[in-house]
Amino acid sequence: MKAYQRFSGVGQMAWGMLAFAGVLVVLDSGGIVSWASRLELGPERSVAVPLAAGLHRAFGWMRLERERDDALLELARVGWSDDPALLAKAAGGGKVQAVRVDTVVASMPTAIAPAAEAKSAALPVHAPILVKRMEGAPALVSALPSIEGVVAGKTRSVGLAGDSMMAVGLSPAMLRAGAQYSDLAFVKVFKSGTGLARPEVFDWQTEYPAMRQQARPEFVIVAMGANDTQGFVDGGVVYPFGSAGWQAVYQRRVADYLAMLESDGATVVWLGLPPMRSEEYDAHVALINKIDAEVVSASPHAIWFSTAGLVGDAEGKFRDFGEVDGKLVKLRQGDGIHLAAQGKTVTTASVEVKR
Amino acid sequence: MLFPTVEYAVFFLAVLAVAWPLARRVTAHKIFLLGASYVFYGFWSWRYVPLLIAVSVFAGFIAQTIEGSEEEATRKRVLGLGVVVCLLVLAYYKYTSFLLLSAMGLWGLVGRAPVSNLPAPFLPLGISFFVFHAISLMGDVYRRKLTVKLTMLDALLYVAFFPQLIAGPILRASKFIPQLAKPRDPNAIRVNRAFLLILAGLFKKVIVSNTLSTRLVEPVFNSPADFHRGDVWLAIYGYAAQIYCDFSGYTDIATGCAMLLGYRFPRNFNAPYTATDPQDFWQRWHISLSSWLRDYLYIPLGGSRGGAGRTYANLMITMLLGGLWHGASWTFVMWGALQGLYLVGHRLWAACDWVEVRRLRADPLWRWVSRALMFHAVCFGWVFFRAPTFGVAWTVLHQLGSAGAVTLAAWPVVVCVLIGIFAQYLPRFLRRDVEAMMSRMPVPVSGAALALGVYVIELLGPTGVAPFIYFQF
Repeated sequence: MKAYQRFSGVGQMAWGMLAFAGVLVVLDSGGIVSWASRLELGPERSVAVPLAAGLHRAFGWMRLERERDDALLELARVGWSDDPALLAKAAGGGKVQAVRVDTVVASMPTAIAPAAEAKSAALPVHAPILVKRMEGAPALVSALPSIEGVVAGKTRSVGLAGDSMMAVGLSPAMLRAGAQYSDLAFVKVFKSGTGLARPEVFDWQTEYPAMRQQARPEFVIVAMGANDTQGFVDGGVVYPFGSAGWQAVYQRRVADYLAMLESDGATVVWLGLPPMRSEEYDAHVALINKIDAEVVSASPHAIWFSTAGLVGDAEGKFRDFGEVDGKLVKLRQGDGIHLAAQGKTVTTASVEVKR
Repeated sequence: MLFPTVEYAVFFLAVLAVAWPLARRVTAHKIFLLGASYVFYGFWSWRYVPLLIAVSVFAGFIAQTIEGSEEEATRKRVLGLGVVVCLLVLAYYKYTSFLLLSAMGLWGLVGRAPVSNLPAPFLPLGISFFVFHAISLMGDVYRRKLTVKLTMLDALLYVAFFPQLIAGPILRASKFIPQLAKPRDPNAIRVNRAFLLILAGLFKKVIVSNTLSTRLVEPVFNSPADFHRGDVWLAIYGYAAQIYCDFSGYTDIATGCAMLLGYRFPRNFNAPYTATDPQDFWQRWHISLSSWLRDYLYIPLGGSRGGAGRTYANLMITMLLGGLWHGASWTFVMWGALQGLYLVGHRLWAACDWVEVRRLRADPLWRWVSRALMFHAVCFGWVFFRAPTFGVAWTVLHQLGSAGAVTLAAWPVVVCVLIGIFAQYLPRFLRRDVEAMMSRMPVPVSGAALALGVYVIELLGPTGVAPFIYFQF
C-alpha cells in the first residue's frame, strides 16, 4: 500500500455515507423539496414529496435556504450565473447587470413575406386523410398569410420561443436561414427542458420577460409542449395527464403564455409538434396539439402552423425519412422526437421569411 | 438515470446498503447487483432491458461454448458467429438509418427513385458499450485470458454492471470477471479515493462541461455564421474542454461508485491534452476503447506485422471504424479518418532520420511545440465530431477567419475552458497529496466534506442536468 492510500472497512464507509447524506440534507433541504416537487406524478413523487417536506420542516429553522438564495444571487451579481430570472433579480437589487440579448443581423436586405408556397412543396404534400385522428385535431397542412415587408432601413425583430424543439431543434436552422437577411434580428427566448405543464420547475411567465429584456419582437415563432405530456399539481389538486381538469388548466396556461407573447403587439406563429415515433407519446402530443391549436386559432394575432404535413407521412404519422428535391433524407433524430438536420431545414423553409 | 441526480444518489445509497451485507454470499451478492443494474437501465426505458439481457445471455452462451471446446477450429467458428451476431445487433440499432441513407444515395446516382417510409429503429442507450463488452467477453475466453471458470451469472453481470453500463469504461472480461469470482473484501475499500473521484467527476460534469455546453459550445455550433473569430476559437477550445470533462467526469463517477462497491475499474483518461503525438494521445484518451480497438481490431487485422503499407492501412481501417463506432454519420467517419491520418503521419515522421529533424526533436522546446501541435490537431478533429453536418463544420472553420466582436467570453466561460484544458498539466502528486490529506481524516469527516463539495457544485452549476455526451454512443 502506498503512503497516500488508505483502505477503510464497511463500517467506516457506512458512517461516511451517513455523514454525507446527513450534511447534504441539512444544507439543502430546500433543494430536496424543490427536486421532489419537480418529479412526475407517480409512486416516486408520492413518497418523495412528503418525505422532503418533513426533512425541510425539520431543518428549515436553520434558514440555510436563505443563505443558499443569497449565494445564488451573489453568483449572479458577479457574473457567474446566466439564469435570466436570477440576473434580473440581481440587477433589481441595486447593481446593474448587463445581459446580452442575442441578436442576429445578417447580410442581405429583404423582407418578411408569406412562405406557404416555399420549400414545403419540395416534400410531397398530401391531402389530409384524417384516419384515426383525434376529433378536433388540427389540419395537417397550414399556410401562412401574407405579411407586410420590412420598411427600408428598419430591422424586424423575430423571437424564437419554446423548449428543446426550438432550442436544439429549429432555432439553429432558423438562425442559419435568417443570417441571409440583414433586416432581421432574432431574439432567443427558448430553453430546453421547459414547458407549460410545470411552472414550479420553469415559469415562463417570469422567465420570458427576463430573457426578452428590452426586445419587442414583431413576430414570435413558438415550438413548445414536447415536455408537457405529464400530470401536474395545481392549487393542491393533482391532475393526471389528459384528464378533463388537466385539459382545462393546461388550456388556461397556453392562453396565458400566448397572451404574454402577444402583449406588445407581436404576431405569434405557433408551430405544432411533429408526429412522434412512440404511439403512446404521439397520442399525448396529439392532445397537446389539439389544445394549442384551439387556443391559437381563437386569437386574431396568432397563427397555427402544422408541421405534421411537412415531416409526417400522408396521414400525418411519424416517418424517419422523406424526400426533398428528389433525394431521400433523414427527417428525424434517433430519439424519434426531435427533428434531424433536414427535418429542421424543411420546417424552417416552410416558414422562411421572404420578400 | 443520470449520475448527477438525486434519483441516482438515492439508488446508489440503497444499492450500497444491501450489497455489502450480501458480500460474503457471493452468488446472492451478484444476483442483487445484476437486478440493480437492470433497474438502473430500466429507469431509462424498460423496453430495452430484454435486449440487454438477450445480448448478455447470447454472449455468455457463446463464451461458455468456446470455453468448453478444445478444438481450435470450433472455437474460432463459434467466436466468429458470436461476433457477427453482436455486430449485426449493433448495426441494426445504430446504423440502419445511416446505411439506408447511404444506399439510397447510391441508388439515386443510378437514376432509381429513393424509397420512402424506411424504418429507423430507436437507439437503445449504451448499446455500443454493452455490445463491445459482449465481444470482449467472447474474445477473452477465446484467447484463454480468463483465469476463472465463466458462469452465466458472471457473464450477465459483466455486461450489465451499472456503473459502466451506459458510457463505459469498457472493462476487459479477463480483468473484471476474476473480481466477481471471490467475495469482496469488506476491509479494503478506498473510501477517500472514491469520494475524491466522485467529487472530481461531478465538478467536471456539472460545472465545467455543463457551463461550456450551454454558454459557449451550443450557441456557436448551432449557428456558427452568427459568430466571429474570437468566439469560434473559444468554442472549439471550449468543446475540447467540454468533451474531456464530460466523459472523464462520467468515468470518474463510475470508477468511484465501483470502488465503493469493492470493484476496480481501469484508468480511462490520463491527461490526454498533454500528449505530444497521436500515439501518445490514444494512450491517454478513452484508453479502454483505444486498447479495445487495438486488441480486437488492429492486431487481428495484422497490426504492424505486414510492412509499412499494411500497417498504415490497418491504422486507417481501425480509426475509421472507431469513428463510426461513435456515431452513424459521415462526420464521425471524417473524424476517424483524421485520427488515422494523424497516426500514419506520425509514423512517417518518427521514421524520418534527417539530421535537421533529429536536431529539432532533440530541442527541449520541441516537446512543448509538439504538444501545442497535437492539441490543435485534436481540436480540428473535434470540429467534425461536434458538428451535426459537414456544412456546419465548414462554416465553423470558415468563421475562424471572420473578424468581429467577441461576445461569449464571459469570465466563467474562460475559467472553465482554462480548467478543462490546463488542469491536466497539474502534477499527479497534487492529487495524491489531497488523497493523503483526506486519508488522515476520519471517514465521516470525508463524507461531510463530500456533501459540502456536492452542495457547492450544485450552487455553481447551471440549472438542469444535460445528458453525458457519450450516452449517445
